[in-house]
Amino acid sequence: MTAPAARRGASPRPSAPSRTRYTLMQLGLLALIVIAVTVANARWERLAEIPAQSLVYGELMLRGVLQNPFSEPYATYWSDALRLMFESLQIAWIGTVIGALLSFPLAFLAASTVAPRWIVFPTRQCLNIVRAIPELVFAIAIMLPIFGLGPLAGALAIGVGSIGTLGKLTSEAIESVPPGPSEALRAAGASTLQRLRFAVTPQILPEVIAFWLYRFEINIRASAILGILGAGGVGSLLAQVFERRDWERVGITLAVIIIVTIIVDQISGAVRHRVIEGAPTSKRTALV
Amino acid sequence: MISFRDVSVTYPNGTVGLDGVTLEIPAGQFVVVVGLSGAGKSTLIRTINGLVPVTGGELEVDGVRVDGATPRRLRALRSRIGMIFQSFNLVGRVTVLRNVLVGRLHATPLVPSLVGYVRASDREQAFVALERVGIVDKAYVRANQLSGGQQQRVAIARALAQDPAVILADEPVASLDPPTANMVMRDLQRINAELGITTIVNLHFLDLARRYAHRIIGMRAGQVVFDGTPAEADDAVFEHIYGRSLTADDVLTDDLEALESDVPESSHGTSGAGA
Amino acid sequence: MTATAKSASAPPSARPRKPRTGPGAYLAALAVIAITVWAAVGIEFDLSPLWTDLGRGWFIIQEFLQPNWAFIARTVGPWTETLSIALIATTVGCTIGLGMALLASRVTTANPVLYRAAKLFLSVVRSLPDVGYGLLFFALVGAGSLAGILALIMFNIGIIAKLTSETIDAVDRGPLEAADAAGAHALQRARYVVTPSILPNYLSYCLYVLELNIRASVVIGIVGGGGIGATLSVEFARFNYSNVSAIVVLLFVVVFSIDLVSQSIRRRLA
Repeated sequence: MTAPAARRGASPRPSAPSRTRYTLMQLGLLALIVIAVTVANARWERLAEIPAQSLVYGELMLRGVLQNPFSEPYATYWSDALRLMFESLQIAWIGTVIGALLSFPLAFLAASTVAPRWIVFPTRQCLNIVRAIPELVFAIAIMLPIFGLGPLAGALAIGVGSIGTLGKLTSEAIESVPPGPSEALRAAGASTLQRLRFAVTPQILPEVIAFWLYRFEINIRASAILGILGAGGVGSLLAQVFERRDWERVGITLAVIIIVTIIVDQISGAVRHRVIEGAPTSKRTALV
Repeated sequence: MISFRDVSVTYPNGTVGLDGVTLEIPAGQFVVVVGLSGAGKSTLIRTINGLVPVTGGELEVDGVRVDGATPRRLRALRSRIGMIFQSFNLVGRVTVLRNVLVGRLHATPLVPSLVGYVRASDREQAFVALERVGIVDKAYVRANQLSGGQQQRVAIARALAQDPAVILADEPVASLDPPTANMVMRDLQRINAELGITTIVNLHFLDLARRYAHRIIGMRAGQVVFDGTPAEADDAVFEHIYGRSLTADDVLTDDLEALESDVPESSHGTSGAGA
Repeated sequence: MTATAKSASAPPSARPRKPRTGPGAYLAALAVIAITVWAAVGIEFDLSPLWTDLGRGWFIIQEFLQPNWAFIARTVGPWTETLSIALIATTVGCTIGLGMALLASRVTTANPVLYRAAKLFLSVVRSLPDVGYGLLFFALVGAGSLAGILALIMFNIGIIAKLTSETIDAVDRGPLEAADAAGAHALQRARYVVTPSILPNYLSYCLYVLELNIRASVVIGIVGGGGIGATLSVEFARFNYSNVSAIVVLLFVVVFSIDLVSQSIRRRLA
């Protein structure tokens, strides 16, 4: 390909933009990581032990899982783990319900398209504060002292903790809603509450329900964590069997956690997709 | 050099895309394919580089059988066929130069390309391609900051960087305003004339078809219903191809001649509204 | 404006019947209520302690509301440990996570066996909470930061891979088709078209994970992973609630600042 470009009175080739800033950033990041590795106080040599150790423990755990689950004592192991796992599910569910119900109205107050500035700012900051504090701290600081040990404290801690994230996500969804329908309603004389109910809420509902379901999935993990502190659920069992180094039981407990979580995740994921995309039949008619 | 022998395409859902098409397209020809949506234009173009698989008949491009080709052979074939699209299909967040270099990817050995290594010869070819469409001054600009006409020119440069034997264009000007659309068609015409690259373009603007094509192929319901020169393609012929009378939407502009005289020869690169 | 005789030529059409709300919606609502009742009973939902035992809790809450700022000076060591744990875990976890995401998306992995295996592996990895990994690695390599780092890495891989693979699934197919049409190999396509397109989202996920890591390292520290979590656990056990609240406030400040930084980075990228 010879260059008839000369005929066109071609513009000269531009020079490549400077990459120094980018390279400096990369070097800075690298330096940060090197520093982190040195001050982390980690005993890196233990890394080498992992393959051998995990083989040993893994085999023990697997042996526990593969034992006949109907014979004692394995039957008790399985039923205990399942019972506590269901308790974790209950904790997560109630926590999510609390979080959803409380965050929904708060989200409107935190949405700049709905509420005036002097309400939006403090509400948002409150949501941020709640978001930053791990549920664990809520549990330790407030729920456990008041409600004592047990699943209720865990559920309330998760509930309050969920308000933060759900509130933020929902208010962002409210803000990103196309203003058209709301304006149309206002032109027709609807009050603010009516506008919110008939124009905004239907538009955000699928997305918000998907947030709630996703939060439920996360809360299941959170409830396992809180269990370690005594807030009910399978976490306490897990901590116990680990401490006793009862590897067969560890294997069974982990298996229960993994299987139940995956099943619930699948169901929740399917419901989420169905909610977001609408029922299948309505799509087919729309194409015709 | 492109030969269709009784080629049929039936999609998995039962729709017939092509129905027994037999064509010979010699090297260097500028072909425009017209027809309604769903008539088979897109399918015809996409069978040539294997994006749509052929379910019956034989299709040969430059001696290579496309139907039933292995993935590796398809990639080798596609490296010699450049394609531009209605929605430009550039990677918006990345510079113009990097977009054009996508055209050189096939020629670059796999592992070096994965770590980001760009050979000097490839960069040179990319620049030459950009110069050929007159947009080299935008080489380091992000693709999504360009206008539609500029983006399509980058897409053409990407196709040129492949050093192709064939260029396919699927409704390349449908998203552009009339002056820009005209310029893009003239670029394609120029490239075809100067470099002898076989060019096949899908259009639904009949005035552009008549102006730029050496040969017009009309498709309807997956079959070729017209195959001739622009001179033979008068309005009656088009109405036969479309199966309805023509409307204003079927032409780009009422006065193509005026558009022509508006555009100075060396408008590339700097001036020109919307360019 | 009443309808006049002009429309007399067209016979009035029968009004359509309102389509019945499908049974699906009612069933779903019923299911939700049933599950809620089952769950509430299961955990013995009873808010009465709020008014009966508030006094007992109130004392503790009061101590929480008076953070002991002086304590913060003694937590610098554990904080650096926590921050470095979070940073290392984020870096390693996000890199591996990106690789897994490419494997777990139909867009970048043509081989269905590989794709399904990757998805299954990620499902399993994600189903264990970070604390589970904490306990696991604690047993494998002993207490301390290494256990924390490894646990967080596994935690991160799950999150990043899921978020990123969903973004990859939603990527604009046009440029992919163009790369195919130019004869590019699938791997080249992943590197030159897919990755640049998802980069802003991916980086924001990485920053999100960094934030999560800092909060999670508190929890992991409690089960033995080192860092500020261990300090928190110790102070809590000693009933030094004002120290605990000082740590919590600082935690909030750190997370908030990372959030601000990540927002500004995200804005610059988009």
